[in-house]
Amino acid sequence: VRDRLLAFVAALREAGLRVSVGETLDAVEAVAVVGVERHVLREALAATLVKDQADREAFDRVFEAWFPAASAAERAGQRRREAGFGGDRGPGSEETSGRGRAPRRETDQADPTVPRGGQDRRRRRGDGGPVRRESRRTEGQAGEAEDAPAAAARRLAARARLLNLPFKDMGPREVEEADRLVAELARRFRRRARRRQERARRGRLDVRRVVRRALSRGGVPVELLHRRPRPGTRDLVALVDLSYSTATAARFLLSLVAGAGRYFRRVTLLGFVADLAELSIEQGHVVPHGPLDLDARSDFGRVLAALLSRRGATLRRDTVLVVLGDARNNRLAPRVDLLRRARQRVRALVWVNPDPPARWNAGDSVIGLYAPHADAVLPGGDLRSLERALAEVARRVA
Amino acid sequence: MDVELQAVSQGLLRCRYVTTPRVETAIYLALRLERPLLVEGPAGAGKTEIAKALAEILDTELVRLQCYEGLDEAKTLYEWNYQAQLLRIQAEAALARPWDTLRHELFSREHLLERPLLLAITAPRRVVLLVDEVDKADEELEAFLLEVLSDFQVTIPELGTIRAVHRPVVVLTSNRARELSEALRRRCLYLWLDFPGAEKEREIVALKVPDLDPRLAAQVARFVGALRKLDLQKAPSIAETLDWARALRAMGVKELDAATVRQTLNVVLKSHEDLETAEGKAAQLLSAAARS
Repeated sequence: VRDRLLAFVAALREAGLRVSVGETLDAVEAVAVVGVERHVLREALAATLVKDQADREAFDRVFEAWFPAASAAERAGQRRREAGFGGDRGPGSEETSGRGRAPRRETDQADPTVPRGGQDRRRRRGDGGPVRRESRRTEGQAGEAEDAPAAAARRLAARARLLNLPFKDMGPREVEEADRLVAELARRFRRRARRRQERARRGRLDVRRVVRRALSRGGVPVELLHRRPRPGTRDLVALVDLSYSTATAARFLLSLVAGAGRYFRRVTLLGFVADLAELSIEQGHVVPHGPLDLDARSDFGRVLAALLSRRGATLRRDTVLVVLGDARNNRLAPRVDLLRRARQRVRALVWVNPDPPARWNAGDSVIGLYAPHADAVLPGGDLRSLERALAEVARRVA
Repeated sequence: MDVELQAVSQGLLRCRYVTTPRVETAIYLALRLERPLLVEGPAGAGKTEIAKALAEILDTELVRLQCYEGLDEAKTLYEWNYQAQLLRIQAEAALARPWDTLRHELFSREHLLERPLLLAITAPRRVVLLVDEVDKADEELEAFLLEVLSDFQVTIPELGTIRAVHRPVVVLTSNRARELSEALRRRCLYLWLDFPGAEKEREIVALKVPDLDPRLAAQVARFVGALRKLDLQKAPSIAETLDWARALRAMGVKELDAATVRQTLNVVLKSHEDLETAEGKAAQLLSAAARS
């Protein structure tokens, strides 16, 4: 039985699921506990191996192929050897074809133990491999009509997908939907920034009030009183690349940061392509103050020089500098020395790179040259990683 | 732990929790493998109820840790009762006992405020620990939870390491407000809990509102089922279905019709926009409810 399970896990991995060794051991243990009655076996394997409902459908497909309903267990083993699992699973292929043998088609319909479609909510995640994304849609299962996925579940799935969808794959409609989500994330970032500051200030005792209160308790400072939180004492400077390849990420970062204005003493938004311009957010749109040629080629070295000479006053000891850019400098001089100088003047420098990490330092990307001078270099190619990056910024603020 | 799968399903039935084999298997495995169970799904599908039912089956206490943003270790694990310690020092001043003895007593269990995680670990018997809405907590707390949930032991510098005598049964719930880490998912058994189908929901209504006309119960279940397929801001939860069923019973309604629906739909839908959406589709929903 164990060998069979191991091979089953291998098939799951091939279908795009991420299954760890620990989870495999769990599955082995689970089967030892529940036995091999088919529908229980299916749920036991699912509970131990499928940790995201988005993967459930792929799991069910592989399960159907490996543990066919009507046939005895031995025959399944044989079928497995004959059929193999390398078959193509393009978008057009039906869920039951391609793998296994024909008899399964009939048993699918007849078998009462096949869970009804209603429980197989399909959820999509953007980070699934291309195989998973394509092969997910299967329509017309038994019971679908009655138990179609509830709107709530669908929305939950859409949301998860949007969070993980790379900006470069977003269409105009998705950007619009993401805007709404960004508003929510901005609220969360705001709360996080505020909490960090409150916590940081907790150490500051209000001695005068503590002593006065203690007088009424025989001089014992039973209650510790703290000063009221004051508005932030940090400045935030966001320097974002507005050129085409990073524009979406830049826009979302700006809306996230702009919402947190109250928790910083001052928020300065700067945008660049080849030149530097101050920005503001007006009704959700990025408005540059001053000329900015969006079709120019990014030149970060030149922008750094402009930042230091024209905007040097914004870089102070209590400034957190956030740079968003893909560090693709069109083979122009990177001017690492200027970044180092900027870093020396500020409290922290966080670099957010919308490029997928696998492509960092590939082609004309020089992120590796800049990285040693940043306190953190974080990916920001989708909303989820952008939020992570901002959490890091909030950490640096306190 | 010698629970059989049968016993789990019977137990759930006894606590009037209607389930599917999927839910039963997941719960059973969580008990047998002593693994935390991560339950995900839309709000109001009965995730929290699983933990409550589980505590009832095992005839034990439910220790609940409600997560929210900013929840930290001190509030989940323990804190020293600083005020009590101070007063103790004051009271001891007259006795003039050696400091070492006093210090020992100051940092004893007496002055320890046990928060849910520590409570669950130190409980004299096996309890059910519900970590509710873990997606609302911060990532830092999630990492900390992971650590506690893997060894069920806690080190308090002044007291030493406390190890769980009985590993608690752990249920985590999530609405997916934030994606949970892979590590946490790997650590847990997983259960996706969605709204029940119309037939299951009818069973639930029949079980919880027993004196409702069975035909009306079926209509209510089908109506709500159809309602959830609309694009609503907030799909009605099972609890809301039950509220509605109770309201209809109280009003002595015999059959669902357009007038009753208009009168009572605000029991199920709680926002103006949703009510408008539903009223626009009232006829369609009613015909779905009448179909048997």
